[in-house]
Amino acid sequence: MAAVIEFQRVTKIYKRIFSEEKLAALSDVSFETAPGQVCAFLGPNGAGKTTSISMLMGFFFPTSGEIRVFGQPPGDVRAKEQIGFLPENFAFHKFLTAPKLLRFHLQLAGRNPVAAGNLIPDLLAKVKLNGYENLKIGRYSRGMVQRIGIAQALLCNPSLVVLDEPTSGLDPAGRREVLQLLGQLKSEGKTIFLSSHILPEVEQIADHVIIINRGKMVRAGRLQDLLASGGQVEILADRVPEELAQSTLRGATVEPATHGVRILVEAARKREAVESLWAAGCDVIAMTPVRSTLEELFLKEVDSPGGAQ
Amino acid sequence: MKVRAIALNTFSGLVRNKIIILFCAGCVCVLLLMLASLLTMRNLRAVQNAERMQMLVLPIIASMMALVSGFGSLLAAWSAADAVASEMRSGIVLAVLARPVRRWEFLLGKFLGVQLMMFIFVLIMLGLNYLLAWIGGATISTSPWVLIVYPMVRYMVYSALGMLLVTVMHPIVSFCIVLVVMIGAGLVAPNNPETFMPEWLRTGLFYLLPSSNLLSETRFLTITRATLRAATWTDHATALAYGLDYALVCFVLAAWIFHSRSLARD
Repeated sequence: MAAVIEFQRVTKIYKRIFSEEKLAALSDVSFETAPGQVCAFLGPNGAGKTTSISMLMGFFFPTSGEIRVFGQPPGDVRAKEQIGFLPENFAFHKFLTAPKLLRFHLQLAGRNPVAAGNLIPDLLAKVKLNGYENLKIGRYSRGMVQRIGIAQALLCNPSLVVLDEPTSGLDPAGRREVLQLLGQLKSEGKTIFLSSHILPEVEQIADHVIIINRGKMVRAGRLQDLLASGGQVEILADRVPEELAQSTLRGATVEPATHGVRILVEAARKREAVESLWAAGCDVIAMTPVRSTLEELFLKEVDSPGGAQ
Repeated sequence: MKVRAIALNTFSGLVRNKIIILFCAGCVCVLLLMLASLLTMRNLRAVQNAERMQMLVLPIIASMMALVSGFGSLLAAWSAADAVASEMRSGIVLAVLARPVRRWEFLLGKFLGVQLMMFIFVLIMLGLNYLLAWIGGATISTSPWVLIVYPMVRYMVYSALGMLLVTVMHPIVSFCIVLVVMIGAGLVAPNNPETFMPEWLRTGLFYLLPSSNLLSETRFLTITRATLRAATWTDHATALAYGLDYALVCFVLAAWIFHSRSLARD
């Protein structure tokens, strides 16, 4: 199946006019997002996330490399017809009310608001903005603005939803509702490309993760694989002889547990550890991979010397 | 539909723009101050004959309307520059261009929104012409379409120029440049006796800068019934085609620059 988003060796260098100064915002970044995938695009501030999303939407142009969205160059009207986009800090015409703003965006999408029927009231109800139809958006709170931004992103039933910090400015209840909404979109088979700093939330919804740092891609892959890879394995045994703890299991963490002894060992050494336990006549009760959180993985990647190059 | 939506939205934004409201308020104040001379003329009507009144009042109306019309050119340039720049500054452009809207469609919508506002300005100006003539006791012999079409074409030129400049620079700088262009165009006009600049420069600037004099509707205001000599259709067509062509070139250049520039929140 053709990828929805394709970045091929994309580099973006900012140059100052009348100056030799150059800043590489993105260096040789390549990735693909498959249809129906929820792809989390992560990175610390200044990593190049917004630059990447801006290039994806056709607002910026790459210095080198190629970007394709639905097989079209970014900014192409045929691609944009299938995209719902929520920019970071969604801006709006303050003199409009929410229904008027959505009608305006419907017209921009080439659709007749009159023929849209209950689309706008339903969408406003979905983002919990019903009851505020007559209030000008200029008087909305930060959270309400974010909700109307999400509503306009979902307005034309897009196949690809690009969200830059969708839960920014929302209270915990609002964040939960947005996550539920994203879950619903995922179940409808929509592709979601998401940038967020709130990693526990991303972990709940994403099935693919791309981590960039200082313009370079440091990690990409399925979330489950990334969280399980490179970690440790927890082995629960009935006992561990002292000599075994000093020899084969040297370097591993051995500590008493409720029903025996808990051994934390590198995933690469798990077979060796289990076989030595069996050879010593111990009973291996359980063996489970220790799953790190996305936050731990993220911090490990961006703090590591390789990740920060 | 997309261009119309952007145009109507731009118009709604412009009529709420505080700078533009202030601009128009200033214009009204100047007009009120200048009314004094017309009211004096009205008092003199009893002792002057009608033909002489026409000769006296119409130049005053023409000069007042030239001022209002000049304000209009600046208003057109500022509105066009601000309509684009404010959306770039706030980031609204990102939400708009994330929709299936081409960049030139966005600019065209902005341009038409400005023209809609300027059309209302022209209609008010037309009403003001007749009102001032009535106050001064004179009659305007010029056909109304001239007083509508000429300023509209001139405003198209200045708004397209403002739009072109704002695609590469700050709106205030763009506005200042338009102001300099306006003054320069007035200085190099053939009817201006000012000769401080060399002939080659004057000729060059005359061809380069938009000819406000040629596109001025106020030159038709001073025509009285006695001296009325209707300009031929070819005269009008040539003058208006010149203005439309100038505006088109500026707009196409603006669209070309805007097409290839990065759109970041300023």
